[in-house]
Amino acid sequence: MPKKERGLIELYHDDPERAEFLVFGRKAGPDRRGFLKGAGLASMGAVLGTTIPFSANMPAGLMPAALAETVNEFTFDAKHADMIVHNDRPVNIEAAAHLLDDDVTPFDKHFIRNNGTMPMPMSKADWRLKIDGEVNDELELSYDQLMNEFELVTFRAQLECGGNGRAGFNPLPRGNPWTIGAIGNAEWTGVRLSDILRRAGLKPSAVYTGHYSYDEHLSGDPDRPSISRGGPIDKMMDPHTIIAIKMNGEDIPIEHGYPARVVAPGWAGSVSQKWVTRIWVRDREHDGPGMTGLSYRMPRFPVAPDTEVPHEDMMVMGSMIVKSAITNPVAGAEVRAGAPFEIRGQAWAGDNHVVRMETSIDFGATWQTAELHAPHNRYSWQRWKQTIIPPQAGYYEVWSRATDNQGNSQPMVVPGWNPRGYLNNSCHRIHFTAV
Amino acid sequence: MRKITSTCGAALAALLLAVPLQASAEDRITRLADVPEDFEFYPLPPGEGVEEVYYGCIACHSLRTVTNGGYSRRVWDELLDWMVESQGMMDPEPDIREEMLDYLATYIGEDWEG
Repeated sequence: MPKKERGLIELYHDDPERAEFLVFGRKAGPDRRGFLKGAGLASMGAVLGTTIPFSANMPAGLMPAALAETVNEFTFDAKHADMIVHNDRPVNIEAAAHLLDDDVTPFDKHFIRNNGTMPMPMSKADWRLKIDGEVNDELELSYDQLMNEFELVTFRAQLECGGNGRAGFNPLPRGNPWTIGAIGNAEWTGVRLSDILRRAGLKPSAVYTGHYSYDEHLSGDPDRPSISRGGPIDKMMDPHTIIAIKMNGEDIPIEHGYPARVVAPGWAGSVSQKWVTRIWVRDREHDGPGMTGLSYRMPRFPVAPDTEVPHEDMMVMGSMIVKSAITNPVAGAEVRAGAPFEIRGQAWAGDNHVVRMETSIDFGATWQTAELHAPHNRYSWQRWKQTIIPPQAGYYEVWSRATDNQGNSQPMVVPGWNPRGYLNNSCHRIHFTAV
Repeated sequence: MRKITSTCGAALAALLLAVPLQASAEDRITRLADVPEDFEFYPLPPGEGVEEVYYGCIACHSLRTVTNGGYSRRVWDELLDWMVESQGMMDPEPDIREEMLDYLATYIGEDWEG
C-alpha cells in the first residue's frame, strides 16, 4: 500500500482559494466571490456530475458539498498483500510473479486495470444489457434473462493487459509500468456473446463492436466514457467470448465488473469491458476512447525507440502474444546447492496455445525442455514445471521461454519498442541463490 | 546548499522538508523512494512548480499516475494536451501550464525512478 496522498478535502481546508484556483481555475475577487468561467466551471461541474446554476454566487474556496461526499477512500483489503499497487485513482494493481502460481487465479491475486472510477455496484435488478446498432432487433436484456434464457458456459480464460511488461521498454512509454503480473486466469461463467448477437440478428453491415459500461470517467463528466473499446465481429462471435456473470463460481467482485462484463480471452484486457451495459454493433472499426490514436495500437512497421509514429501508421492490436511467467521460486529465494528443486510457472499465447517450454539457469547458454501441461480448455494458461539442480553455490537466474503452435517464441531481450509500450513478451527472469 | 548535498543527504532531506520549493534542478530528488513521506505534495518530488502540478492533477487522479514513470519534455507536453483535449482537464493559463511542464520535464524526467 502506498502512502495516502492528500485528498481534495484536505487541500480545501488548508488553502481553499488557492486550491480552487489551481484545480478549477477560479480566482477570487476582492469581494471573495470568484467567477467560475468556461473550462473551470465545466471542470467543477464535471466533478460534481452536473452544472452549477448559481455558480456566480458561490463563495470562492467553498468546497462543493457534493465533492466532500464523493471523495472517499478506497481500500484494497480484497487483494493479497503481495499485489503491486501502481495507482489508487484509477485503481491499477498487478500480481507479483509468485502470485500467478494457481491454475485458477483467485480473486485476491487477479490484477485490476481501471480507466475510470471504481463504481458503486449496480444491483442485478437495475442492470440491463443493451444490444443495438447493426442488428435487426435491438435487445435490452435483464440479468434474469441472461441467466434463464441462454445457455451458460464455464471455462478458464487468460485475461492480460495489453501493456503487461511495459516497464521493460526504454524509453518508458507512458501508462502503467506493469512488470509481468497484469495477467490472470480465472474461471468465468457466462452467456456466449454470439448467442446474444444471433438473437438480435446481425445485419450484413455488422463488422465491429463498441462496449460501454456504467463506471465513470475520472473527471466525473457523465458524457465521457471511461473507456470504450470493442473487437472485430469474428472475435465477438467466437464461442469463448462471453458476457460473464460469475468469476470463480461466484458473483463477479465489483473491481472485476459486477454484475456482468465482457470476457474476450486472449486479447488485450480492455476489449473485455467491465460493468458492461451496452454492446453497440458497428458498421466500421469502433472509435470510442481507447480505440484511436496511439491507444492499444501498434506501428504497422518496426520503429526505433522514441519514434513519433504518425497515427495513420498505427493499427489496432489483435491477439496477445506468447509469454510465460516463473511462479516458483520466489524472486530472491535461497535453495540448497546440489539439491534438486522444482521451478514452475504458467505459459499462454493469446488466441494460440503453447507447445514447447524451455528454461535456462545459465543465462541462456543452454536450455532444457520443461514439462508442459495441455490447457484445461482453450484459452486457459498452461502449467509448466521442471526439476533443476544448481551445481554449486552462487547467484542464478531462471529464464523461461515459451513457443506457441505457430512457431513464435519469446525473445530474450525486449521486443520492438512502440509508442505506448504494448506486447513486451521478453523471457521472464527470476533470480535465486544457491547456498 | 549544493555543498550540503555532497556531504550529508539526511541534512539535505531535512532542508528540503523545511523549504521544499527551493529544491533546484541540480540537487533534485530522482527516485520516488527518496521523496520524504511527510512532504506536503508527496509523492511528487520537491521543486519549482510542484504545487501547480499537484493541484492541477489531483482533481481527477492520484499523483501516483504522475510519478509512475519519468518522461521527456515532449511526452509531458503531449500528455498535458491530451489531458485537456480529451480527458476533461481544466485548460491551465499559459504561464501555469509552462510552470507545470517545466516542473514535469525537470523533476520527473527520463532519469526519474518511479
